[in-house]
Amino acid sequence: MTGPAPVRVEKALALMPELEALVPLRALLVSIARPDEATVWSSSGPYLTLGKRGVHPDELRRRMPQAFHRITDHLQALFKAYVEALECQQRADAPGVVLALLGAGRLEEEVGRHTQARTWYEVALRVAETLQDRRPEVEALRALGYVCLALGEYSAGARHFQRSLALAEPEFDQAGATAASEGLGDVALAQGQWGGAQAWYSRGLRLAEAASDAPRAGRLERQLGVLARKQRDLAAAGEFLRRARERFEGAGLADEMARVLNEQGRLDAQLGRYTAASAAYREALAWAQRATRDTRLELSIRLNLAELDLEAGRLLEAEAELRRAEQVAIGGHVIRRLAQIYTLMGRLRGAQGDETGFVFFEQAIELAKAVERSVATEAQVYHAYGLFRGRLGQQDEARAYLERARELFDSLGEAVERERVEAELRALSA
Amino acid sequence: MIPPVRMEPSVPSAVPSREALALLRILVVAGEGGSGGGLVQNLRQWADDGRLEIDTAPDLPRAVRQLSGQRWDVVLAVLGEHADDDLSWWVDTLRGATGSPRLIAVAHAPSMGLVLRAEKSGVLDVLSLPLRREELVRALERLRSAASETTVALPLVEPHAVGPYALVGQSPAMLDVYKLLARVAGSPATVLVQGESGTGKEVVARALHMNGPHASGAFVAVNCAAIPENLLESELFGHEKGAFTGAVTRKIGRFEQAGSGTLFLDEIADMSLALQAKILRAVQEREIERVGGGETIPVDVRLIAATNRDLKEAIKQGRFREDLYYRLAVVTIRLPTLGERGDDLVLLTAYYVRLFAERYGKKIQAISDRALELLRAHAWVGNVRELRNVIERAVIVATDETLRADHLPDELRGEETTLADRPQGGLLTLAEAEARHIARVLAHTNGQIGAAAEILGIHRNTLTRKMKEYGL
Repeated sequence: MTGPAPVRVEKALALMPELEALVPLRALLVSIARPDEATVWSSSGPYLTLGKRGVHPDELRRRMPQAFHRITDHLQALFKAYVEALECQQRADAPGVVLALLGAGRLEEEVGRHTQARTWYEVALRVAETLQDRRPEVEALRALGYVCLALGEYSAGARHFQRSLALAEPEFDQAGATAASEGLGDVALAQGQWGGAQAWYSRGLRLAEAASDAPRAGRLERQLGVLARKQRDLAAAGEFLRRARERFEGAGLADEMARVLNEQGRLDAQLGRYTAASAAYREALAWAQRATRDTRLELSIRLNLAELDLEAGRLLEAEAELRRAEQVAIGGHVIRRLAQIYTLMGRLRGAQGDETGFVFFEQAIELAKAVERSVATEAQVYHAYGLFRGRLGQQDEARAYLERARELFDSLGEAVERERVEAELRALSA
Repeated sequence: MIPPVRMEPSVPSAVPSREALALLRILVVAGEGGSGGGLVQNLRQWADDGRLEIDTAPDLPRAVRQLSGQRWDVVLAVLGEHADDDLSWWVDTLRGATGSPRLIAVAHAPSMGLVLRAEKSGVLDVLSLPLRREELVRALERLRSAASETTVALPLVEPHAVGPYALVGQSPAMLDVYKLLARVAGSPATVLVQGESGTGKEVVARALHMNGPHASGAFVAVNCAAIPENLLESELFGHEKGAFTGAVTRKIGRFEQAGSGTLFLDEIADMSLALQAKILRAVQEREIERVGGGETIPVDVRLIAATNRDLKEAIKQGRFREDLYYRLAVVTIRLPTLGERGDDLVLLTAYYVRLFAERYGKKIQAISDRALELLRAHAWVGNVRELRNVIERAVIVATDETLRADHLPDELRGEETTLADRPQGGLLTLAEAEARHIARVLAHTNGQIGAAAEILGIHRNTLTRKMKEYGL
């Protein structure tokens, strides 16, 4: 009556070659994958990962038109943007050409195609470079800077932002200069160069305040708050976040409220104020609900909430939150975050002294390599995996995984994380 | 004949159920639609009898702030244009709120799908706009009526300790298990434990180990379904350094770890045929080889296997080796479902309440009759594991000495006939009855379409179509 059993995702993916054309099919397959009916309450249920979910070929076939529809919509929007650029070219409206090409790049970024977005931005930049008005060039450089940041190409990103700033200042393009300063701060923050980040954010904040640009000033204050927290200046962090929050609430910016409260939660957690942190995260989720749906933001909040529960020893709540996050990530086509979710699941099992928790790290490594293709994430997973093994008394394996994490952080130039791993390796040898 | 478990009414706890209080505190979140102002005004008028205290919040984020600061009995939320999404967010939000307030969702022309989803999520009621006083009063009365919950003392339980676990129960079905367990524990025979998920197969395996000839050795459990297939072989047999990518160190497998103890292979039916052949060889030859290693290592473990599947059926389908089955099933112990264990549910509830109360530093000595009724009425698909989970969560949220119905998860509370008598006063249409039944079955199977289709006796495609038709 029920037909054949579903095919496990791990087996389904093994049959799919790594081809660009199949990316939407892979995303669809993953999004419709469900836990095997018999697994939910079985003893393997707590260890359920994406690979162990099941998928019905007939359901995949039925849902294929939805995927085609999404692909067609995306292509239509891209083609439309290109035709707009062409029309602008016909009218000799070069800034319009740049605008249309940048729009196409943003469409690519929205669906996670960063490399393709960079190609659009590069074409836009080539056109912008021929113009007398430098603002389109400033904008193209900024877009390139952020896409490089998303791709983990920090040096290239910094170069684009620097050039953007150098062009904006002589043109008295205050908005461009502020945005470039923010971008440079973001690159420095991502690389753990806190002094540089502080200088760039402060400079951006002065410019934003002079231009009465409340939303950008709020964003820069939030970033300064992040930085202060990372440098353990928690009082300053609290003050920056309070000011950012006032600006955003006054302007009714729901998505920014969600982001600043998410950061407030992290600060409260670092201060050991678990109740306040939990309340901040819950309010952040509520603001995220009011904003335009941003699955990545929702996931970030849920992961922080889960981590808080984990640190507070509320393991049941942590697990429930992680399973909700997993569902949001799978349903919302944000598979990239699954590696982080499974790393936390593994940490949770480690806290319970459960050796079988290693399955989550193995799945996270696979996802970081094959789906997210992020060395940084892979390094973080190995780091957590090493600590997990160490906690279970498996010193040799712990050392091997920590050494792998150190090697990966080295390749990225991540000095701060590398030092943390190094300290753990020393502790292991002591 | 084992006498049924008696539950004596106990002295009511010092802290009365908050529903018993005449005054209900309601937080009204009317949203930003046009209906907001009028609704709040009406509610304030209706609250004039002094039994309602009403406050308002303009939207979900501000409501969250108020909920984190104070305790509320009810949140009355007006759902917006995307009522389904709004409902999910509210259910999610109230999950973490102080004092577990109940939700009354108010919507313009709520759909059947919305009502059924609300029912499953433990929502107190779904009311239509414009709000009518009698409908609200009826919903609140239902909440107040819960004040009549009687507390009953938890019965005494004598668990048989099994390491960190325990065997609890005195039903005839469990007595049969104990007898068989006593007969086979002393022998080194390989045992196959069969039973649905959550019936306690690992606890029985541990009991066999602790009372058997290998008791002085280790008890090592491997969940064959949890471990990715490509890692299971090295997990069981170990590997040499560099045997494959990722083999960063030499690893001692679970067979070796078990030494002269017991190796428990859980969910054995999930193992590939290739690996089954290797297990068979290990059982027959009593020796193994590490992955990537040439050395033969003798093993002296007692093997206990468990499954929730029908292995004979798996043999017929060519998914399980017959020769391995006969090697493993020298003795077979079948575990009863929770439904087959009658009053054991009460004993297990009492056992887990005490266990988790101690773990979480609570003092819970009784359970309310309504909570017990909800537990008895629930279809325990996950058996004892699901019950344990439910009780642990309930103990965490319990605030006084009695475990009450509103400490139980939304899903269980949603099974009460709170929304089920809709539409009020009228008989259901055939479509409504069908939609409701489908929703119940889906709730029973945790939303698993295949299992629901099987219960309903229809093809999964037909069920999917009907779910779409009814907005489920």
